Amino acid sequence: MAPLRVWIAVAVGGCALIALAYLPPRGAAPRGPRFATYSPEPTAARRRAQAVAKEWRETDASLRLLEDRQHVKWDSSRVGPAIIFRGPTLPPTAVRTVEAVADSMWRALGLGETKVRAALVIALERAPGSAPGPIPDQNGVAFLTPDSTDRTTCMAFLPANHFWTAVLLGHPPRHFEPDWLARWFQSGLGPCAYYAAYGTPSRSVRSWLAARNWDVALYLGTHGIAGERFLSVNLLGDPRYSWYWDGIYSLSPSTVACLAGRLDGCRSAVLYGADDDARIAVPEIVRLEQGWWRKQHLLPGERFLGDVARDVGRDRFQSFWTSSLPVDTALAAALRQPVGEWTKQWERRFIQPIRLGAAAPLGATLLALLLAAVAVSAVALAASRRQVR
Amino acid sequence: MCRRFGLLLILGVLASPLFGQDTLISRLRIRADSLLRTWQQAVAIANLADSLERERATIGRDTIAVGALRIITNASPLPVRQAAALAWPAIDSLYGSAAADLAERPYFIRAVDPDSNARRAVLHVGLEVPWDLDLRSTTTLLLTTVPIAPPDRALATWLTGVLRPSIHPREDLGGVYLEFVTAPSQAARGCFMGDIASCIDALGLGDTNHQLERWYPSAPERRAVVTGSFADFFDHGGSAPALRECVAGRDASCTALLRSLPADVLPKPLSDAARVSLVRDALRLGGQDAYRRLLRDPEAAIADRLAEAAGVSVDSLVAGWRNAALAARPAPVELPWWAIGVALGWVTVFAGCGLSSSRWRL
Repeated sequence: MAPLRVWIAVAVGGCALIALAYLPPRGAAPRGPRFATYSPEPTAARRRAQAVAKEWRETDASLRLLEDRQHVKWDSSRVGPAIIFRGPTLPPTAVRTVEAVADSMWRALGLGETKVRAALVIALERAPGSAPGPIPDQNGVAFLTPDSTDRTTCMAFLPANHFWTAVLLGHPPRHFEPDWLARWFQSGLGPCAYYAAYGTPSRSVRSWLAARNWDVALYLGTHGIAGERFLSVNLLGDPRYSWYWDGIYSLSPSTVACLAGRLDGCRSAVLYGADDDARIAVPEIVRLEQGWWRKQHLLPGERFLGDVARDVGRDRFQSFWTSSLPVDTALAAALRQPVGEWTKQWERRFIQPIRLGAAAPLGATLLALLLAAVAVSAVALAASRRQVR
Repeated sequence: MCRRFGLLLILGVLASPLFGQDTLISRLRIRADSLLRTWQQAVAIANLADSLERERATIGRDTIAVGALRIITNASPLPVRQAAALAWPAIDSLYGSAAADLAERPYFIRAVDPDSNARRAVLHVGLEVPWDLDLRSTTTLLLTTVPIAPPDRALATWLTGVLRPSIHPREDLGGVYLEFVTAPSQAARGCFMGDIASCIDALGLGDTNHQLERWYPSAPERRAVVTGSFADFFDHGGSAPALRECVAGRDASCTALLRSLPADVLPKPLSDAARVSLVRDALRLGGQDAYRRLLRDPEAAIADRLAEAAGVSVDSLVAGWRNAALAARPAPVELPWWAIGVALGWVTVFAGCGLSSSRWRL
């Protein structure tokens, strides 16, 4: 009976120690100011006004792209995309500079005279209230792909925010690097760069790309969104922080599986939309909303087809691009290996495979083993000293 | 005749896509115009709804007036009046005569039961806070959400935010002192040593050309900035080799990496808190109308605006601010003499227990 009492006393004492360590003393003041405030939400009427404004912006952008396509002027002395400015008038020297940068960017992409021509509509920032209607969205990039009305013109709409408007008007910030403008133009070309380089895709490829809003064909060049280090996969942040995992698990299961290096996941992520016979709207206007990278089916999908084209070479990519075969067959033929396998290797260039499922950290595992060893030793020691009377 | 008709028919068929496009453009134009009208109506209705919500937020509520502060809140144990009485002097001393405008910009506070799961109406105006906040927290809430009109873009950009009254002025200046002695920047150290031009540089008030060279003139400083603030950022793609070279000590790589950043991303030697404390000093020196003078000319340089607000030259202002920061040096941790004895006593107790333990038996 006596040993039992000792053990009970030890257990109660342990509980008391833990309580002493963790419970605050009675009447103790909280350590710092404590807030649990809630910010106001817009009224239903305000939300409706915002929704109508969004719809108007989309319609207005479509209208302007179609109008601009009718009136675009091609300059035979230039090789690059035609540039159309909207908003404040640029001085002629600034226009010439922009055109020169666009031409050199065009050449850097390996493009010259192309069957499908591209036009870049740059909307400069306007002063609030200078035009009727809602304030234009400074992040809504849009593309008007060639269609039966005009088979040889691809239009890209690139809104210039405060920063780029200042640059274009000749007031760049002090540390402005000259190649930033070319990178911006390159990232603004989107699908138009593919049209210029490889012509109109086959129906199956176009339907696949339309179903996924062209998320795997946004950048033809060797750079990411704005250079090598700005890939959409980097926008997830650092795996040490919780928001990284919040970002990962907001993606579709196949995208996450591909990030974990699973072949089936990579295949599904690439071929998402390939089975659907998506109806291609006429005119086909591709819109990229702010935060488009959070809705990608493959990370960093924006450069996927650009990397495929570089890896397999122009001829094989061209045959894929114009192939009437199903996308998975045509892509596997161009890659000369299964789509999932190639994509898995490609993914590893940008991100180490993430670990899925429960996984105890090494430190915690070692600590658990150590505690287990201590417990077993203690029991063994106690048993060895036990006296039988 | 038949041939001519055929030709016209062919031309018509060929041109039909263009007519189709015109129809589409007309349709889109009509739709855009219609949406624009709908939007104008929707905005008018939304403005009316917001205004009604503001009116509704005042119904059945008390208006608490302390100085120029107006707080519209529901009856609750939340110590709003006492908190306002504590907050008002701090607000008044910061904004001076501009604080009078707050009479037209009331706080809307909805105090709610923190322990209730009852469904509450959606909040459209003001703040919702649990009514068990203590006086200190409520005062802090009032100070951090002063409904003052936001400053102009230039000042907001330089400050990286909105100017609010200080809750812990002494600790804020102590933080500036720590930045003086720990920032990997010659400008910050120069300021600490008494060079006012360095202070002006470190605060971003002087010539902002060649900021990298002015803030971080030596190679170790540039390396510290890259490895301390941008190691993860540069450790991808094309910049990864340059990062490795920089870490290995190649200054040209560090400089190139830092130059590739936009100017406003370069870490400031002295933080935003230091800038805010300087503005507070300027407003304190300038008296009642200082805040209005600070906002008077949004086109002027920030240094000139601060000097105008304070009523002294920017050099004097910065020198006074630096002296205040030095005076607020955090107190070093001092070990009382008896603590040494206590520590040694505990060591002796544990050592004694360890040495005198005997074999135990259950």
